[in-house]
Amino acid sequence: MELVERSVRSWLASGKESELEETVSGVTNGKITLVDVVKALGPYLTSEEDEIRTKGVDFLSSVLGKCPPEKLNRQAVRVLAVFYCSKLEDIETTTPVLKGLSFLVKFPPVDSSDATDILSALFKHIRMKALVQSTRFYVFAIVDTLLGKHLKALQTMGKEFLTGYVNLAEGEKDPRNLLVAFAVARTILTQFDISEKIEDFFDITFCYFPITFRPPPGDPYGITADDLKKALAACLSATYAFGRLGIPVFLEKLTAGSPTTKRDTLQTMSLCLPVYGASVARDLGRKIWSSMKLEILQPTDPQTESEALSTLQVFVRTLQGTSEDIVDLAKDICLECIDVLREPEKAQAKAAMKVLCEFVTVSPMLSRFSISQATQHLVGLFHNPDEVPTRPAVVLLLSDLVFASRSASSRTSVSVSPSGEDTKSDLPLGPAKDDLLGVFTVSLKTSNTAEPALQALQGMVTTSGLFSDEELGFIVHAVDELIQPNDIEEISENALSLLSDISVNAPHHVADQTLPLFFAQLPDRAPAKEAQEERAKYRRALSALSTLCSQPTLFEILVVRLTTKLDLVSRSTAGLSDTEPVAAYAHSILTAISKTLSSKVEKKAADVPKYVDRLLPWLFKLFIEASTSEGSSVLIDSRVLRVAGRIVSLVVETLVLERQQRFVDKLFGTFLDGNVQEITDGLLHASGDIAFTPLDPAANADQRQAVVLFAAAVMPLRKDVAIPAKDLSSFLQSIVVWADSERSTQIQREATWHILASIVNKHTEEKSVASFLAILLDTYRSSRLHNCDVPADARRSIIKLWTWVTKALLVRTHPIALEFVNCLFELLDDDAVDWDAAQALGELGSGDDVLTKRNFAVIKVLHAQKFFNSILPRILEGAKACDGSRRESAYLVALASLINAVPKATYSTQMPSLMPLLLRGLDLPDPAIRASIIATLTATLKDGTSDNTAVSLYASTLVLAMLKNCIFADTPEPRVRIAALRYLSLLPGAVRYDLLHPYKANVLKELAKTLDDPKRAVRKEAVNARTNWYKYNG
Amino acid sequence: MNGEVFNPNPTVFALSKRSGRKSKFETGQSLWIDNDSQLEHTEEDSEEESIDQDEIYDLIRSIADPEHPNSLEELRVVSAEQIDVGHNQVTVEFTPTVPHCGMSTLIGLSIRVRLLRSLPQRFKVDIRVKPGSHQSELAVNKQLNDKERVAAALENPTLVETLEKCLDTAGMQNDLYT
Repeated sequence: MELVERSVRSWLASGKESELEETVSGVTNGKITLVDVVKALGPYLTSEEDEIRTKGVDFLSSVLGKCPPEKLNRQAVRVLAVFYCSKLEDIETTTPVLKGLSFLVKFPPVDSSDATDILSALFKHIRMKALVQSTRFYVFAIVDTLLGKHLKALQTMGKEFLTGYVNLAEGEKDPRNLLVAFAVARTILTQFDISEKIEDFFDITFCYFPITFRPPPGDPYGITADDLKKALAACLSATYAFGRLGIPVFLEKLTAGSPTTKRDTLQTMSLCLPVYGASVARDLGRKIWSSMKLEILQPTDPQTESEALSTLQVFVRTLQGTSEDIVDLAKDICLECIDVLREPEKAQAKAAMKVLCEFVTVSPMLSRFSISQATQHLVGLFHNPDEVPTRPAVVLLLSDLVFASRSASSRTSVSVSPSGEDTKSDLPLGPAKDDLLGVFTVSLKTSNTAEPALQALQGMVTTSGLFSDEELGFIVHAVDELIQPNDIEEISENALSLLSDISVNAPHHVADQTLPLFFAQLPDRAPAKEAQEERAKYRRALSALSTLCSQPTLFEILVVRLTTKLDLVSRSTAGLSDTEPVAAYAHSILTAISKTLSSKVEKKAADVPKYVDRLLPWLFKLFIEASTSEGSSVLIDSRVLRVAGRIVSLVVETLVLERQQRFVDKLFGTFLDGNVQEITDGLLHASGDIAFTPLDPAANADQRQAVVLFAAAVMPLRKDVAIPAKDLSSFLQSIVVWADSERSTQIQREATWHILASIVNKHTEEKSVASFLAILLDTYRSSRLHNCDVPADARRSIIKLWTWVTKALLVRTHPIALEFVNCLFELLDDDAVDWDAAQALGELGSGDDVLTKRNFAVIKVLHAQKFFNSILPRILEGAKACDGSRRESAYLVALASLINAVPKATYSTQMPSLMPLLLRGLDLPDPAIRASIIATLTATLKDGTSDNTAVSLYASTLVLAMLKNCIFADTPEPRVRIAALRYLSLLPGAVRYDLLHPYKANVLKELAKTLDDPKRAVRKEAVNARTNWYKYNG
Repeated sequence: MNGEVFNPNPTVFALSKRSGRKSKFETGQSLWIDNDSQLEHTEEDSEEESIDQDEIYDLIRSIADPEHPNSLEELRVVSAEQIDVGHNQVTVEFTPTVPHCGMSTLIGLSIRVRLLRSLPQRFKVDIRVKPGSHQSELAVNKQLNDKERVAAALENPTLVETLEKCLDTAGMQNDLYT
């Protein structure tokens, strides 16, 4: 007891928090009771001096606030409640009393009589206007808590409570209090009988609409306008009784407000209308529609328009309610829109169609009505000879309608039976189908209506169950007439995608009618070099075929027809002096297959794996024949082989483990042992005269080319596929020797790198591979890589090979990789190949098409980051030498190519230290390096998240460097100019204006020169950059 | 836009495709299908591509109409055929949607400013209303082609603000079709 008295005294004097804590802990552990506290406070609570009394009450309230709930019994609560209620009369102590009450009402022993007493006292004594925000907050908190805990008791208070609360809440302005007030209002509106007080509640809620609150900068309370909007919207949509009063308010705000207010109003209306109900919507409907109409037919901006459309949908749905027939108003709106469609080419017609499209989604009944009305009108218009000029617009409008009803039917067609007849009548488009089909097929015959018609047809075709097989055939026929390949310039993409969509369900129509048209366009002999038109023609046909033939049946046809064609074409070189056009034709044919295949693989089509037996043997036969035949065949052209390789890779990639194993066994049997019948499935037989030994170092140039296909087949092998070489180590060594041969060409070397990288990466654990790596690091390194006597050209290839092997190890973060990296670092001191080694270091961090997840390579996450972090310090060290030596430049080159290769997250934090080096790199003469440095800088700029302090620091230097790189006279490479201009166009968005202000005039002047660049692509970037600098203002 | 709306219900046309220029591949000029990026393509040939009708059209087609949320292209206020490029001389003709359109000068001015910023200084640019398409054709033409008047108009901050709003979308052409 004395303890309490002492604490009280010292708290009143000092206000120290610790005294309060002491008392609270006393209460918590039972040493002190609250009664003791009250007793100790006795004299202060009744003191004559205002200040002491206030402090006394405050102490009590503060203790109460920290007191654990079980420490107060019923008795104590009652006493405190009575005490506080009586204290409310005392104006001086209002704040601490309310604070105490806000804590007290949370205690469980408070019962309903306390609740009503407290509220009555509040209503009687509190004048909100006289209180500050924090005090008013206590009032709202008290009401909120009591509403939550003693709803019943409050309901029985009835009118007294409602009137009292309205008086309290009236005129509140602070967002913190409003947030609570809105929650309270929502509870009252939903839980109380407010029929008599509806206007009062309307006044204290709708007066806040729309919320225009903007939180002050650095607002510690973190209340956003959005929080308030949501809370208020919950109030406004709490009761149907607001309907008649609320709608006029909404409409007024909608007409007069700013775009933001309009959107806010529309969103709130969407919430409220369903609550207000059908009868309100019907009574006030005409007014609502006439306001909404303006927002849709003459929209302020697209955002508001789409908001208005979705509100309209809610409105119509509410209007319609559960009514059996179409409500008059809905009908009128629909007809009004159709009236607007009289001028289909005008902007409002589009908007009106949007309204109708919303109708389509509301209910099946309205959908049928609006579709039949709209199609009837528009189809009539279409066939009216006076309206021919508006046909494109009519078709566009109908196409919108088709797509809207497609999405409507996909939502409702769950119960549709598959039996044909019935489904048609269920689909909203069903009754109008024939009319529409007529309009669209007629439209296909005129060029300005063909494109929209194709889109509309696509919408209809993809509405499941709409068309019969016969009708689909009819459509295919009509489209074929459009793309009759003789007289068209370009084949419409829309036509192709429409045909593709049809082929999903009815491939036979496309196979029978369309494909022959295109196949007929492919000549058996390649057009001569000068025959540009014919070349363009077969290319169009091929590209159309590859787009069309994704569907399994069609793809099979494509493969059969094109491989036959390829065979024919490749043999037709007799008597030609220039075989290049033939090779180009073969290349185009193979590209068509590979494009389709690639899109199928991406879509994980199930029919790809079977082509290992159907397509690949054929391909291998063609190419092995070509490489072993007398005289050069066009097929061994590197470019042709590359595409063929892509096809092989794509198919092998999709095989399961066993099939890959079977395939690779045959592959090695053919390429290593010369058993050509294996990989060609017996299409070829080993004949005594010509041996197929492409991997023999002595093999002739033609046979060597076949290794490209071999590499393509090895690349996508799974990790668990055993490489069927007798001794893997000596096989790999022989590949290296083969690659090092002077007779190897670039593409052949590339093939070997891919083989090495792929096998090393997937089989690192095997002893034979380890011994191969050891040989590389030991004898190969000293005799080839580091041997200055080897010609520089050969060494460049060796560096490439080395890079690939290193990369294969790096991506799986194998420890031995670092030794390989070290060997490259040592080369930076070698004048002959230093820059190549430097670039190789960068390439190590970059991605490629060989070591990928798709190719089943073993890849560890974050390997690029680890690599980057391990070698960056070393490169920085070397680059900082700053002596202008060749060695320093080599390090800069390494840095530039490395940084360009790795993801930007790896280096963005290091940017401040990298920036000076990169800027020095911009002075290097090599354009490729400058382009990659600029690309790096651009990547860091674009990423808005990383802080641009480094850029700001060097902004002026950057501007000058970029200006130098974008002028035609100084920089002949368009690539660099484009990169520099792109960077300049981004700078204004990233750097504070005041930093670059001094340069603005100069930049604009210099950029004016770039506007006259000889290259169009450069000029385009120049215009962008200059525009951005014009707009750059403080 | 406060005040009067001059044409509440304009005709909206579909956007045309990218400019009619064809790549060498499409015309069959090149022998091989180029899978490489276009950039490398430009690297190889050093031939000069001069500024043509399509390029200027690309510059102005996406300028926004001051009255509607549509581009000048969509409203057919400008078209490629109405642009004439000579040696150091460009003439741009535009068609207001209605003859009493009070926005014509603003549209013309926005074309003028866009070209001022995007064309090399050697070009002399003439901007005209299509003959017979506007009731005060002469006045508009005069305003648009008088250096002093244009400069004076650009001193007016409210006007410049409206202008910038129209020009905001002008660069969108690039993103729209690529």
